[in-house]
Amino acid sequence: MPETASGGDRLFRSIVTARPKLVTGVPDGMLAETIMLCASAADFPYIACAREEECIGVACGAAMAGERAVVMVQNAGLLNALGAFATMGLRYGLPFVTIVTNRGALADPNGYDIEKREAFDAGVRPMARVFDFDAANLPDDLIPAAFKWAEAARKPVILALEKRLGAEAAA
Amino acid sequence: MSELSNLPSQKDAIAAALALYPARPFAVSDIGSQTGWLKAAGHDPRNLYVSGPMGLATSVALGLAAVRPDQQVLAIAGDGALAMNLTSLATIAGAKPKNLSILLVDNRVYEFTASVPSPTAELDWLAVGRAFFGAGQCLRLSDLTAARWAGVARPAMIVADVAPAPGKPPALGLTPAMIRQTFLEASKR
Repeated sequence: MPETASGGDRLFRSIVTARPKLVTGVPDGMLAETIMLCASAADFPYIACAREEECIGVACGAAMAGERAVVMVQNAGLLNALGAFATMGLRYGLPFVTIVTNRGALADPNGYDIEKREAFDAGVRPMARVFDFDAANLPDDLIPAAFKWAEAARKPVILALEKRLGAEAAA
Repeated sequence: MSELSNLPSQKDAIAAALALYPARPFAVSDIGSQTGWLKAAGHDPRNLYVSGPMGLATSVALGLAAVRPDQQVLAIAGDGALAMNLTSLATIAGAKPKNLSILLVDNRVYEFTASVPSPTAELDWLAVGRAFFGAGQCLRLSDLTAARWAGVARPAMIVADVAPAPGKPPALGLTPAMIRQTFLEASKR
């Protein structure tokens, strides 16, 4: 991967490498570039959902057929969809990958995001495996590794991407 | 709306919709009544009995249709369930899957929950479906034959007015692991 690739482009390339059969999501500003790239990808459809709970359903439909699916939502969106995540994803043991932009970090202090992050920590982490990453410095093999973990664990996995202090300078 | 006493049962409506297809489609049913009556109408490895939030069957069916584009998929939703995921109709209309249809069984109550009235009891579901998919792609079950259904473009919606059942459908008797494994094998054929 060229060093000049943006975080959004890196994430897209990592998704492509994992060879999913579909990608679905609801936009967040941190995901916009990746979503645009996915929407124009030739290798898989991008299904733009009206609500995040739908995304979990769409991913579960693909996973029920044994196919790889990626979900992209904001932390508040996953909170909207926790019932579906638990009673479909966890209950049926479906190994899809959910990419969550975990807004409200120290480097991302919008007033309207703070409670989303608190609720994400309180509501999501106790029930599902969450791996945390710097959105500006994602590993190339992130999504393939996430699928390998989810398929071994037989359950969905959450990748929480956040803005970190000093990340732009380091990049 | 027809007189309730003249309406078919949910089980019979599901069986009639499945019979419109020349080959058995994948059938994705919502939790509760739809899952129970789908199994009673005809248990098949291609049935996907959905647990989870009411109304998710249309979204699960969309994901399945996307990864099995050469297979027909029928989502089966009740009026109460679909009202909980009405936005999925917008998503499906936007995604335009050429192999996905929705059977809406409208009994005007939450049948699995003591038949408490649903808030959509007065809703014109045919008009709702036509707003999303167009007049030619949202039809009443009672107006369909296999030949006519074969000529309907997808995504499409079938509206079936059904009578509320006097009781719950027979218990599913399947665990999530059993459902998943059976369906996984059927989806690979």
